[in-house]
Amino acid sequence: MLHIRCPYCQEMRSEEEFSNAGEAHIRRPPDPAALSDAEWGDYLHFRKNPRGPHREVWVHTAGCRRYFNVLRDTVSYEILDVYPAGVPDPDAPEETTP
Amino acid sequence: MPEAPGVEYREIPGRGCLNLRGDADDPTLRDATATTLGTELPTEPCSWQSSGDTRACWLGPDEWLLIVPDGEQSRVEQQLREAVSGPLSVVDVSGGFVHANLGGDNAAKVLQKSSPYDFHPRNFPPGRCVQTVFAQAGALVVAIEDGSFVLIFRRSYADYLVHWIADAAEEYGYPMHRT
Repeated sequence: MLHIRCPYCQEMRSEEEFSNAGEAHIRRPPDPAALSDAEWGDYLHFRKNPRGPHREVWVHTAGCRRYFNVLRDTVSYEILDVYPAGVPDPDAPEETTP
Repeated sequence: MPEAPGVEYREIPGRGCLNLRGDADDPTLRDATATTLGTELPTEPCSWQSSGDTRACWLGPDEWLLIVPDGEQSRVEQQLREAVSGPLSVVDVSGGFVHANLGGDNAAKVLQKSSPYDFHPRNFPPGRCVQTVFAQAGALVVAIEDGSFVLIFRRSYADYLVHWIADAAEEYGYPMHRT
């Protein structure tokens, strides 16, 4: 059983109160119509599934019902970081806004 | 004389509640709540503020549960709608919830047994409120002034949740007062 710190409730809570919502920081392509079927399929269905640290979304279902991001090691299950939704991906390369 | 029961469960009739969502930094929301309810909106996570028969519980950074005497809901809703200029949602959810009091010397132990949350008085003193799970059913637990707990949970889960708590309370003796 994991103990997860909810960044909104600001407390360690039991995993029972949370639900996992998959990989974090997936960006919707700005112009879906311009993509090939393969690119659109990648966006919809393909995820990283790494061995090691993984940025993922959790929701505090039974608590404050807010979504937030967790950096979790998929091998040891250690939770390395927790931060609110909306924070840019710390691993992402510097973006140049068009 | 029989020994005083270690746990007492009692439904609290005549309570109304409203789900309030808005911007915690909106001064018109803060002023309107203070005027309408006589109490400030709690901004500290998992805490509540009260005045007389009215209580405002923190549910999330932009969400609160307002507990008022039954019959006051429409007045509160109307006054908030008139006074708040920012984003606002006020919904009367009284019909969906059961309010109950869990008291007695062993009430905290019963909660500790029946939920994953740390209900030790050191972690959960009066003034705190928490949304957590009792087996598969969610509930809001409020630690009130007198050291007992108010449980607020969905009406449709009442039977399930009360049986779960009764099972946890059995070893302490549990007269159930259902109204």
